[in-house]
Amino acid sequence: MLFPEIPEAAVWAIYFAPVASFVTIVAFLRTRPLLAGRVTIAAVFVAWLLALWALDTVSGHDGEAVGFAPHHWFTLFEFEVDLGIRLDGLSAMMLFVVTSISLLVQIYSTGYMAGDGGYARFFAFMSLFTAAMLGLVMSSSLLQLFVHWELVGLTSYLLIGFWFHKPSAAAAAKKAFIVTRFGDFGFMLAVVLIWSKTQTFDIFEINEAVHALPRAVVAGFVLGLLSGAAGKSAQFPLHFWLPDAMEGPTPVSSIVHSATMVAAGVYLLARFFPAVDAAPGGIQMLIAYTGGFTAIFAASMGIVATDIKRVLAYSTISQLGYMVMALGLGGYPAAMFHLFTHAFFKSLLFQGAGSVSHATNTFEMPLMGGLRKHMPITFATFVIGALSLSGVFPLAGFWSKDEILLDAWKHDKFLFAVATVVAFMTALYMFRAIFMTFFGEYRGGAPAEDHGPTHDAHAAPASSPHDTDGHGGLHESPRSMTFPLMMLSIPAVLFGLIAPTGFFGRLMEGAIDPSLRHFEFQIEPVVLVASTVAALGGIAVAAAIYYARMPASSAIRSRLGPLPMVVERLYFVNEFAETGMVRGVLHGFGRGAALVDKYLVDGAVNGAAYATRIAGDILRRAQTGQVQANTSLMMVGVVAAAGTLLALSGGLIDRVSPGLVERLMP
Amino acid sequence: MLTLFLLLPVAGALIAIALPAAREGEAKVIALAFTGLNFALAVVMYVVFDRGVEGYQFVERFEWIHGAGFTVQYVVGVDGLSAPLIVLLGLLSMVSVLVSWKIDVKPKHYFAWLLILESAVAGVFLSLDLIQFFLFWELELLPMFFLISQWGSGRRVYSAMKFLIYTLAGSALMLVGFLVIGFGAKTFDIEALTKTPPQETIVPLAIVFWAIMLAFLVKLPVFPLHTWLPDAHTDAPTAVSVMLAGVLLKMGGYGILRIVLPLMPNEAHDFSKVLATIAGFSVVWGAVITLRQTDLKRLVAYSSVSHMGYVLLGVSALGPVGLSGAALQMFTHGCITGLLFVMVGMIYDRTHTREIAKLRGLMHHMPLIGTVFIVAGLASLGLPAMSGFVAELTVFLGSIEAHPAATMAAVFGVVLSAGYILWTVERILHGPKTHDFHDLTDAKQWWEITAMAVLVVAIIGTGIWPAVLTDTVRLGIEPIAKIVEAAS
Repeated sequence: MLFPEIPEAAVWAIYFAPVASFVTIVAFLRTRPLLAGRVTIAAVFVAWLLALWALDTVSGHDGEAVGFAPHHWFTLFEFEVDLGIRLDGLSAMMLFVVTSISLLVQIYSTGYMAGDGGYARFFAFMSLFTAAMLGLVMSSSLLQLFVHWELVGLTSYLLIGFWFHKPSAAAAAKKAFIVTRFGDFGFMLAVVLIWSKTQTFDIFEINEAVHALPRAVVAGFVLGLLSGAAGKSAQFPLHFWLPDAMEGPTPVSSIVHSATMVAAGVYLLARFFPAVDAAPGGIQMLIAYTGGFTAIFAASMGIVATDIKRVLAYSTISQLGYMVMALGLGGYPAAMFHLFTHAFFKSLLFQGAGSVSHATNTFEMPLMGGLRKHMPITFATFVIGALSLSGVFPLAGFWSKDEILLDAWKHDKFLFAVATVVAFMTALYMFRAIFMTFFGEYRGGAPAEDHGPTHDAHAAPASSPHDTDGHGGLHESPRSMTFPLMMLSIPAVLFGLIAPTGFFGRLMEGAIDPSLRHFEFQIEPVVLVASTVAALGGIAVAAAIYYARMPASSAIRSRLGPLPMVVERLYFVNEFAETGMVRGVLHGFGRGAALVDKYLVDGAVNGAAYATRIAGDILRRAQTGQVQANTSLMMVGVVAAAGTLLALSGGLIDRVSPGLVERLMP
Repeated sequence: MLTLFLLLPVAGALIAIALPAAREGEAKVIALAFTGLNFALAVVMYVVFDRGVEGYQFVERFEWIHGAGFTVQYVVGVDGLSAPLIVLLGLLSMVSVLVSWKIDVKPKHYFAWLLILESAVAGVFLSLDLIQFFLFWELELLPMFFLISQWGSGRRVYSAMKFLIYTLAGSALMLVGFLVIGFGAKTFDIEALTKTPPQETIVPLAIVFWAIMLAFLVKLPVFPLHTWLPDAHTDAPTAVSVMLAGVLLKMGGYGILRIVLPLMPNEAHDFSKVLATIAGFSVVWGAVITLRQTDLKRLVAYSSVSHMGYVLLGVSALGPVGLSGAALQMFTHGCITGLLFVMVGMIYDRTHTREIAKLRGLMHHMPLIGTVFIVAGLASLGLPAMSGFVAELTVFLGSIEAHPAATMAAVFGVVLSAGYILWTVERILHGPKTHDFHDLTDAKQWWEITAMAVLVVAIIGTGIWPAVLTDTVRLGIEPIAKIVEAAS
């Protein structure tokens, strides 16, 4: 510990700094965009410094929780809600990751979003997004976590749909929210279920209590968490919102796919790792295989995508699959270590893709090529990110991926094989992207006036100042964009080196019960060889096909029959979900229900009214108009009924015919 | 104080009516002054309200009809259950006047009816005597009927008539039920009846239960008694929709909590499964039909059917948490749906259409209206930090043990609500700029801004600081929950 112990107020300030910048921008800076950007950066910088302090304190505690008493929010009988901070190894690490990535993304955004008509709005949303994610990871209560979970969903909706004038962006935002909310259906049931069994929302108490609960309850609870996590962390079958989320501005992708939003699902499972651990084995298997399947399934789509951002999107889904798989296999420290390293190099890669599109006006790789010479910083940093992601020694991704592979090797050889194949595929699609983008001849990009769907940087209402200076020739991006790229390269290279010290594992396991701690740094030669061969093999194959063109990709493709097409159509999951489930089943049901409502339910009502009216007409033999006819009939009924009852209770009948009432109604 | 709350709007109505024809445009000023004063009165009442004691406060009473063996009295009072609803009523009445600022057809009659409506609904929430409750319940029909049939649009006479007959049919049964209870127990005093619920009545209590319940379920409304609601909403002027969705529907839920449960707790237990089934079904049915609506007002109306299902679900759980959830949901739905109707009204005023297919890209032309619409929509889909979330969650927590299947259906309703809200937002607000709407202006008038602002503050305020409601609601629910739990 380098500094004194962090006080509670300072931890709260990590959360409230971006909240304050959001409020400030909305209240005062809507018309002063440049200041909005600076305020956001300043706020996140403060949060980052405090997060470092928090991390320092927690590492002094060996990852164990720093005790802060919760604060009362409201009470309704046994429904008591407290708000508080859970600061331990897991949350401190997440605070550090979220603030670091957010800070660099905000700096990057000042360049990328320059001149956009919604600049101030963008930074307001970004502040809120960061705050929501910070609130999520520091929550001591499940309910508090859920609140921020939903707010993360809201802000990603706002950011993905930032350019709402594009129908594709508006649709993508809606899709992201609804699909993740579908997963939240399970999450919310889990929240309700666990409360009804334990009467508490405190995460720590729930993790303790699971051992005393019936196995079925724990299974239901963990399944609900998995459902929520699958939505947010884009696990099959709820993965299909994520590639569409590329419609948001690239800085949004850079933060959504690394430290926030998608990380939330994995964090949720990690936060409740003791519960996951206590769940029946079948549930853990389900988690592991969900992750494993998602990893290989998404990687296959990454190999055929032509949009560089979509390649990265599938890669994100695939890597999240790794983390979920590791959690299912009991490898909680490994999962979190991969989340940690992945956040940095994936953010880097997205920013690189944004930088490339800044120059070429497109994300379509077939329109790029040869950018290595014109954009040296982007190129170099992108290669670093790709090497790290591919798991090449000694970069960060190597260490974290190896820990996951090691857990798979120890617990499930089949998943180990799957994970190794995924490692090969990862290297393949990343270097395919690099060769298509940075090598060969430049294929012209997209014309500046293009406002096509793949092109985001300049599709904003106001044109970017870079439009004028940029499209004569290719150019490196401005300093505000290359600086974050260079900064992110450092963790992408170095952060893996903490693995052998065991520091990270200890930090993570400080957050859980001592009986669950069994992390130690190990080297398993089989795993080491397999992963390195897979990574280098993937790079070599990519070089052969996309650089040397021996064999050319078209030749391979023609030999595979309809398979590439099926993959390119994303296995028709979108068609199944949108056309089949939503348009077919849901709207079909809705149409049927609407008809029943109109003709059967309301028809019965109108029919009854009509019958009453006819009866009224006949009885009165007078056409006095429907208002009077109906109301007077009704009033007659009321008076008659009331009169009868009055008579009954007044004993009138009793007097006329003693005992009749008793005989009628014993 | 409560009698003053009850009579102030009537006084306002009389003054408005008395205006000479040449100055009838001033009716709105009078209406705003009186509803504003009444809202202030409600807030003062809410602040002064003693959260340390259970039971009714600010009680005012005198005997009215002294019959042989029974008395009908005038008695008003508030407890933790009705106090938030009185504030809601004050708030929405004021908002209704604000959104009617441009009414120029017979304005003095219009505003007079609006004020009478506030009094009538106040009477329902404040009455502590069954007969008095019934009278106010009926009185509310009158202004509603005239407001819809005279200032409405479309098939306004049909809709007004349907609303009238439907409610009358329900309340006829309710009156019968009240009389049976009242003559059986020799009193119509709700407080007294609550202390000693009727045991022996000439008609089996199960029948009385359903007679009264039916009236409240119509008002709430739930499937299959809801079809009057979309028609009434669609053809009503904006202000009337706000009042209808915001406070009139709450009369149903309030009646169940105030009268049905404490007076007939055993029957409530007997039929709780039936009620939960209706509730769960109503939530999903309403939400699915909402998805198919093409008219903005009908869409909001059907979403109300879905959301009021949560109230019934909370009630059917018969535990303190579920009942509190129902009470919270009534308040929150009033604010949220009130705001949604305000926004639909503003869009309609400008575009002259409520057809979703004809609207698109409005965010470009009216960013403030669009933003507030989204805020209202997000609140409606139960986003945390807004009032709807806490209410819905409380209902679910309260009902999961008693009715797991109905609760799961209701939670699924939350997913569906995200669907219809965001799909609507996408269709009407997002998308490219279109030429059709280029000359439309955003909300700039002070009355529009004020109407939006007060409701947004109420929604977000109670969302972030629920204790402002929960501490009061708990006081009101506690005695009811005790009676109901003792009966089980």
